[in-house]
Amino acid sequence: MNRYALGIDVGGTFTDFVQIDEQGGGRTLKIPSTPHDPSEAVMAGLGELAEAEGLATGAYLRALSRIVHGTTVTTNAVLTGKMARTGLLATAGFRDTLAMRRGMRERLYDNKYRAPTPIVPRHLRRPVRGRIDYAGREVAPLSLADVDAAAAAFSAANVDAVAVCLLHAHANPDHESRAATRLRSSMPGVHIAVSSEIMPEIRYYERMSTTVLSAAVGPVLDRYLAALDRHLAESGFAGALLIMQSNGGVTTPASAARRGAATLLSGPAAAPAASLSCLAPLGERSVITIDMGGTSFEASLVRDGKPSVTTSGTVDRFAMALPAMDIKTIGAGGGSIGRIDAGGLLRMGPDSAGARPGPACYGLGGTRPTCTDADLLLGYLAAGSFAGGRLALERSAAERAIEHHIAAPLGLGVRAAAAGMYRVMNVNMAEAIRAVSVERGHDPREFPLVCAGGAGPVHAAMIAEELGMTRILVPRDASVLCAAGMLRADLRHDHVRSCASPFPPPVADAARIRSLAADMEFAAARQLAAAGVPVERRRFAHGFEMRYAGQYHEVLVDDVPRTALRDGAWEEILRRFHRTHELLYGYALNETGAEAELVSLRLRAFGLIDEPAARPAVAADRPPIKGRRSVHLPSRDGFAAVPILDRDALPAGFAGSGPAVIEGAMTTTFVPDGFDFAVDRLGSLILDRVKGR
Amino acid sequence: MTTPDPILASVIQRRLKSITEEMGLTLLRTTRSPILNEARDFVTGLYDENGDMLEQTEYIPVLAFALQPVCKRIIAFFGGDIHPGDVFLHNDVFSGGNQNNDVAVFRPVFADGALVAWAACKGHQADIGGAVAGGYNPDAREVWQEALRIPPLKIVERGALRRDVWRMVFANIRFPIVEDDIRAQIGGTAIGARAMAGLVDRYGIETLRAVREHLFDSTERRVAAAVEAIPDGCYRAESIAYYDGVRDGSEMEIRLEVTIDGGRATFDFTGSAAQTPGFVNAPAAATASAVMLTFLMLIDPDIPHNAGLFRRLEIVNPEGSFLNAAFPAATTFGNSLTGPISDAVMRAFADALPKTVTAGWNRFLGFALTGNDPRRGRPFVDILFLALKGGSGAAWAADGYDHIGLINCAGGLLAQDYEMFETQNPVMLECHEYAVDSAGPGRWRGGLGVETALRILGDDVSAVAFGDGIEDGARAFGLFGGGDGARNEAVFRFPDGSVRTARSKEIIRGIPPGTVLRQKAGGGGGYGDPRDRPARTVADEVRDGVVSLRAAETRYGVVLDPESFGIDRAATSTLRGRAESDMETEND
Repeated sequence: MNRYALGIDVGGTFTDFVQIDEQGGGRTLKIPSTPHDPSEAVMAGLGELAEAEGLATGAYLRALSRIVHGTTVTTNAVLTGKMARTGLLATAGFRDTLAMRRGMRERLYDNKYRAPTPIVPRHLRRPVRGRIDYAGREVAPLSLADVDAAAAAFSAANVDAVAVCLLHAHANPDHESRAATRLRSSMPGVHIAVSSEIMPEIRYYERMSTTVLSAAVGPVLDRYLAALDRHLAESGFAGALLIMQSNGGVTTPASAARRGAATLLSGPAAAPAASLSCLAPLGERSVITIDMGGTSFEASLVRDGKPSVTTSGTVDRFAMALPAMDIKTIGAGGGSIGRIDAGGLLRMGPDSAGARPGPACYGLGGTRPTCTDADLLLGYLAAGSFAGGRLALERSAAERAIEHHIAAPLGLGVRAAAAGMYRVMNVNMAEAIRAVSVERGHDPREFPLVCAGGAGPVHAAMIAEELGMTRILVPRDASVLCAAGMLRADLRHDHVRSCASPFPPPVADAARIRSLAADMEFAAARQLAAAGVPVERRRFAHGFEMRYAGQYHEVLVDDVPRTALRDGAWEEILRRFHRTHELLYGYALNETGAEAELVSLRLRAFGLIDEPAARPAVAADRPPIKGRRSVHLPSRDGFAAVPILDRDALPAGFAGSGPAVIEGAMTTTFVPDGFDFAVDRLGSLILDRVKGR
Repeated sequence: MTTPDPILASVIQRRLKSITEEMGLTLLRTTRSPILNEARDFVTGLYDENGDMLEQTEYIPVLAFALQPVCKRIIAFFGGDIHPGDVFLHNDVFSGGNQNNDVAVFRPVFADGALVAWAACKGHQADIGGAVAGGYNPDAREVWQEALRIPPLKIVERGALRRDVWRMVFANIRFPIVEDDIRAQIGGTAIGARAMAGLVDRYGIETLRAVREHLFDSTERRVAAAVEAIPDGCYRAESIAYYDGVRDGSEMEIRLEVTIDGGRATFDFTGSAAQTPGFVNAPAAATASAVMLTFLMLIDPDIPHNAGLFRRLEIVNPEGSFLNAAFPAATTFGNSLTGPISDAVMRAFADALPKTVTAGWNRFLGFALTGNDPRRGRPFVDILFLALKGGSGAAWAADGYDHIGLINCAGGLLAQDYEMFETQNPVMLECHEYAVDSAGPGRWRGGLGVETALRILGDDVSAVAFGDGIEDGARAFGLFGGGDGARNEAVFRFPDGSVRTARSKEIIRGIPPGTVLRQKAGGGGGYGDPRDRPARTVADEVRDGVVSLRAAETRYGVVLDPESFGIDRAATSTLRGRAESDMETEND
């Protein structure tokens, strides 16, 4: 019997499915999400897939060996405030750290801008006496009486979760562990999140915020995964269920529920892995990926097979300091609204018309001009074949909106105004790409651009032109790229230990470094074993977070070999630190005698999966050319009749030159003049800028 | 000149902004002293060949509006002696600088052999020479006791560091870290200049110049629209700065007359107090920055920042007052006069723009600690930012922002992380929490202040106090019936049990290890009658412990059950003098 693996990406609007099977076949599906109970859409999709395979749901589920699941259930819980009722146990004298967010107001001159409501109200932020110093020494003993008093207050308030975060628990977790043990026994059934278990890393606010987020979404995630697990088991599923994390790897449901915050930024985290697999036929291991949907645009970068990772993420303006894919998100999508500001400059976004009323051309009552309206008037989108023909677009409504809000105020014609909107959108998105490349020391011209999302391929080539990028790849499954990427994500667990030391370390610190690294490996190995990963499939990567004395930000020296740890090759690690600093920031202080210091040790632990076979392209048996229509060509600042091709009818190896518009069921790609295009064996569309232009 | 394509103007404005942000990000990551990489006391900008501001990103606004005039001075001084690869330094308050410690780095951008633009980074240095580490010297009577003066100075010539000049500068500065920070700023300008050159290369200088005029006009139009919305007339206000660090009980009055006339605004400080003998004096640039940053709070926060900002504004500030001190006055406290100056500006506009202005912000009281760290056998210096950040003033339909800090920084000042703070300095915090009843009561309350206690564990420690807000009259003022915020206060308790209440400007020397500094940063002023604040909101804040039961009753007129925090409707109605239903109207 055929066996299947399934990637399921539950988003706010759509739930995407990508199925692959042992015989190299595959299938994709996109259905509306069911926000009141996301598992409903999941089960409905499973039913549809089973039917398409000609199987009863039970038989289909029994044939599923693996489901990788990405969910925004935790993110939505935070954004809509539907988190667990949460208490916080903090060191006495420091219970406002969470609310203060280090005293920042993100919008400088805006005196009406408010701080976000703290996830735990002040009366549920309870103090506990006891103090550990910066070096991990006990200065004052833990007051268990205070822990008990807090527990009584939490119980009286019916909390479902408690976060425990005490000062300097990164250096000595003893007080936290004892407090947590006490709470676990006095408050059975309550989700307890402990900072030194979740993230034993220096910086009280960041650790506290991450721990509180974990506590507040833990019960929500727990309930959701339990329900899903039950639905699946009842329907016959006996394979492995894995959960997508923000760090780009997957983990078991049990491990995900323990560190709920680790799923908070997981939505787009599978995109880099998916991009890499699309690029495999080209031999590329570095890529910039963009994903443009209805309201937001995301950009991320992979260098030499390694995605950029950050520990300075935020969720609803609170710190989420666990490693997460470094993804720049801006408010730019098909629904982005255009307007003329009071100074006469054209702005696109960040406000969006969303799905309802949506762009003016949807005819659902929207009157503001959007990116999609401009794309329609410029001929990139066709009124009759948008979204697979499911939604007829109204050209006159788009014209009215753009005329009224953009063209008339600027004294331009409607088409010129639409071209301006298109251009400003492209510049905004190019700036987001700069943020993940130039600002991190990478030259975007050295990277191919992989473009995902429904709205992206209309813009990708002109975004690339903005940045001097020369190669663009639009995957066959561009509209479900994350779901496809999930099937290629390894198991991954991140570990960290605070370890302050001058560098190179004196003898005593060197011993501590080795022992902490070994300790992390031991914990990681146990976790991988619990997930059923055999020894030969485990991989460990050690990292050193370092900086020059006095700096506030660390630089990660990654992939330090075990042998370097064992042999104490500190000078080599130090050299790599200087080099990395130079690459990122344009200078190093290796010659000025500035002291370097180690701040933390990291370990990335992987359980490698079998890379699924790539599925070859199959073209529909139809003529590839659908006709011609008048399309805006930015290079000529005018319109020309351009061939319209049927994406799904282009066989592997099909090639041509722009200008052209290539329409698929879910995405439309604009190939400007000056670009050649070709279909590769996986069905990806590759655009190459013609040299010498 | 060609009429620019309006779309291209939008595109280039976006690009200029992101270049300045990229420069800022570089500084955040590469500078080494906490005042730069934590407190973010710097600004990045791009200027045209005339020194006019093309775009600027303020991380902390107070030092930001002196770059354009200084750029013009550098151009005037060096004239034809500006070449590709040159880099210039400047801090001098008597040639356009706003504070001695704020050192600017300027780098020219050339295209086809012609000067086309400038990239600049300006930041607050951990030390700038002078008599006292860190630069805040209440004993100073003239500029040389405060700082090394750096008038326009070429530090890199055609790509080659002038090593002798470099060594001379840093021979006069205490901490080697400053050298690295200036290097990081030079690196930041290189990033900006490279990106700017790319822009010129792509669009051509003629197009960029046309776009520039368009952008300046566009910003000017938006400023003009904001000014025109204010009825023509004269708006007067006063404000008082307390204690000049020399004369006990001294008070310096600020007199401001704002004239709105046909879309132009003139800020006239004529009649303000004479310059003081100590360091409580502002260079003209600091006063101008204070006016600008407060004005920016009164207009649309999204207006692009360029030279067009200044076209409709004029500042009259005669030399010889403490807001424009004559050479060679000591002036390091000048930036810190932003609080009293902003108070005058907010008050002046209160009746004309009642739904835009805020009540008073807490005027900070800060300490710079210096001494030896016995754990490492090395000197340390740290400004206790986390302890000085009080609350902002409330506004129509908005409570003040808690723990935001001085208005100079407008919310951009990051408090230290406790664990990093204790790792890097010989101190141990005992508490850092919101201070009860610190916020000025009002229909919208002021932002909360904080209470901090910290144990000093270093040797040979001195504390330099600099600030304001310890006198009753210096509290953040309430507006339209709102109450004042709490005072600032700082008390040192020495190991022998003796105590010393700090003055707002002084140096406390010989602090023994084991001394505890207990400090309160006050809250912001309230807006509107506190009896109009929903009783439910007051009850919640009592339960949360930021408003006391007593204050709920005496200030807000809300009577609560001390156990359940339930509202005693009858007693509350009596106190508030109106029926309950009126009290529960939602704040909009």
